[in-house]
Amino acid sequence: MKASFLLQNLSRRISFVNHAVSAKSQLPILLNFLIEAKKGRLIISATDLEIGIVAEVPAKIEEEGSVTIPAKAITELISVAPIEKITLQTKPEGLFLTGERVKTTFQTMPTDEFPKLYGDKGSELIRLKRNTIDKEFSRVVFAASQDAERPALSGVLIKEGESMSKEGFSLVATDGYRLSLQREALGGTKKKKTTDASMIVPSRVIRELILMNKEASEGGDIGVYVPQETNQVIFSQNDVTIVGRLIEAEFPNFEKIIPQDYSTKTIFEKEALQRAVKASYVFARQTANIVKLSIMKDKIVVSANAPSFGSSVMEVDAKTTGEENEIAFSVRYLLDFFSNIDGEEVSFEMTGPLNPGVFKIVGDDTYLHLIMPIRIQQEA
Amino acid sequence: MVNEENSIFWKKILGEIETEISKATYLTLFKSTALLSLENGVASIAAPSTMIIDLLQKRFYQTIKRTVDKHTGFDTKILFVPKVIPIPSGQNTKTPKEEAPLFVHIEKKPTMVGHLPGVRPDYTFQTMAVSSSNQLAYVSATTVAKKIGSSYNPLFMYGPVGVGKTHLMQAIANEVYKNNPEKKIIYITSEGFTNEVVEAIRNNDTSRMKRRFRSIDLLIVDDVQFFAGKEKVQEELFHTFNILVDAGAQIVLSSDRPPMEIKKLEKRLSSRFSGGLTVDIEAPDFELRSAILLIKAKKHGVDLPIDVAKKIAEKTNDSRELEGLLVRAITISKTNGIKITTDTIDKTLDEGDGERHRFFRPDDIIRNICSFYNIKPTLMKGPKREARLVKVRQITMYILKKELALSFVEIGNILGGRDHTTIMHGVTKIEGLLLNNSFSEEMLRIKSLLRNA
Repeated sequence: MKASFLLQNLSRRISFVNHAVSAKSQLPILLNFLIEAKKGRLIISATDLEIGIVAEVPAKIEEEGSVTIPAKAITELISVAPIEKITLQTKPEGLFLTGERVKTTFQTMPTDEFPKLYGDKGSELIRLKRNTIDKEFSRVVFAASQDAERPALSGVLIKEGESMSKEGFSLVATDGYRLSLQREALGGTKKKKTTDASMIVPSRVIRELILMNKEASEGGDIGVYVPQETNQVIFSQNDVTIVGRLIEAEFPNFEKIIPQDYSTKTIFEKEALQRAVKASYVFARQTANIVKLSIMKDKIVVSANAPSFGSSVMEVDAKTTGEENEIAFSVRYLLDFFSNIDGEEVSFEMTGPLNPGVFKIVGDDTYLHLIMPIRIQQEA
Repeated sequence: MVNEENSIFWKKILGEIETEISKATYLTLFKSTALLSLENGVASIAAPSTMIIDLLQKRFYQTIKRTVDKHTGFDTKILFVPKVIPIPSGQNTKTPKEEAPLFVHIEKKPTMVGHLPGVRPDYTFQTMAVSSSNQLAYVSATTVAKKIGSSYNPLFMYGPVGVGKTHLMQAIANEVYKNNPEKKIIYITSEGFTNEVVEAIRNNDTSRMKRRFRSIDLLIVDDVQFFAGKEKVQEELFHTFNILVDAGAQIVLSSDRPPMEIKKLEKRLSSRFSGGLTVDIEAPDFELRSAILLIKAKKHGVDLPIDVAKKIAEKTNDSRELEGLLVRAITISKTNGIKITTDTIDKTLDEGDGERHRFFRPDDIIRNICSFYNIKPTLMKGPKREARLVKVRQITMYILKKELALSFVEIGNILGGRDHTTIMHGVTKIEGLLLNNSFSEEMLRIKSLLRNA
């Protein structure tokens, strides 16, 4: 194999592909990139057997071929090497990476030990509009569970719009304590008629998808494929492809837990409450990470209490309708929510201190976030 | 899922493979595999990802095949299936995690129009056939739908089975939903409402239910005659009723008889029921039945000649049964390739006459009849012989005989070991009573209850 290219073209891609390399992998081959040179392109792949990433960069191919190369070493090397034209060439002694001022050699492993990431992609199932992906997935993915014991909750459910009148898809993630729901999302259009247009995609794949979309150079919608007879899902954008595995589990019936009404509703500035909650965290983290919100007519009082340490009370302006109420949440859940959503004004609805509270972005009724409160002892 | 035999077999295989390959390879590639099935010389093996399968195929197909062949003793084909099989973790036999807190109390919600089933979207004013027998009801329903809460409140519609009460009520719901999707609408059957109340009392949490029912714009309750004798439920409905009317919400109710004639319904409730507009829907007349048939036939994509419609309309005066006859005529004509004409229709419908059979368990039938007459199922099988009980028991005998075609001996056994002569007597008795008009209507209601159970 012999190929030459501009280093900056490769370095833009290679650190992203590196996300699929697991540092902990016990199979040496998985610590490598597979680099293939064909038809004017250099194709770099990596996988930890759970997800895979493939990226292509334009290159001048003098001799087609393929090679594996230690992922960590080349990623680090490229990030510090001077930017210039580089030639990759395989020789019996190893892989030579040479530039005007650079000369390196790598030991390689047989390329046939490297797994094939995907076969026939099949036809495109969904096409996602690139501009809304970041916002809509970011609002949802953080609520997914990190716990592998509940497979269904460790992913994001992508489901065709729940009512016939609504366009787009619903995105849902929950860890059983909180839930994010984005309706009418993705501006997606289904390409193929299928009976089952809902899938659970691991949150890790979604996170990579967000990153891929952010780094994507110029406009490009994302094609979604679910190849026949596999449990794979493939996201392709321009020259980059992410391969993940669908979660085969039943997603809980989330629609049933979304409260239909409320007895208290309050509207506040997101940043103001976020700041107050952050401040309370100083005290809350000393104990059980709990903050209490007391919703009054024209303000929300945020309080945290750590016996033998101290306590704090902060006030935030708010416009409340309905009865005054109190509810307690885990600080982490509140902060997660605030840091993952856009929008300036947020509304909060609740029916009682033991029922889930609902956050919405004012002026955007396609999104809601639900948090299960923490039961606290009433103060004397 | 993986059965135990396969799982033991696979463990043996893995045990041998483990000794042949490096530990790292074993852990990464083999650890989460499982044998799904071993039959007809094919071993299906599950592995969590397509990439793992690729490596297994490329590098270990022969190793696996050799080991499997050794144990099965014949030439086995190895097939890989991408599937995640949860591996039961050996030592820490943790009990499965309890349900996530958010999903513990999944409330049973009554069905919401448009979003959820319960109201048929095709039951609209446009699909309703109108004639003199139901015109008044139709006009009042459209008026109510146009301006909920301000014209007739409550609107109470009554009439025998199959005259279109449910259709009209759901049409109101659909119409209101179509024009004002933000209106909160609850359509619920009396049984559904009863269940809600019972559930709320059992969970000691009536406030939630109260809040839900008392914050809506349109409440539609079907078949309120079933509230008869249920005092607590009536009380709940009474309060809900008052609050909703005060708040200007619309209430629509239906029953098989006028409010004052519903027995065991509290006075204060029946008087409130009649406080708005009470309209009677009569059984569809001949012209309406023909019109209904034409509409339904069109829905099924069949162009029904008008004289055929008339012919079918002569056969029954229950609109539900009409549809049944029509569907049967269409099906038979399609399967046998005959055209539906006035000549063939008689023959078609008389063939395989009798009730459209549906599979019921005797217990379902007994339960439904008991709830209709409001008696305990245990009494039915017990020895007591009060006149009322005896009559219900005989009705049960009759229905078991006619619907399920059970033998007299079997029916005797089902009803608490009664002699077959008792059953024969009971069935004959009811057959005699059926000549009486009001009783036959009662039977019709029981049967329709069963059919819709």
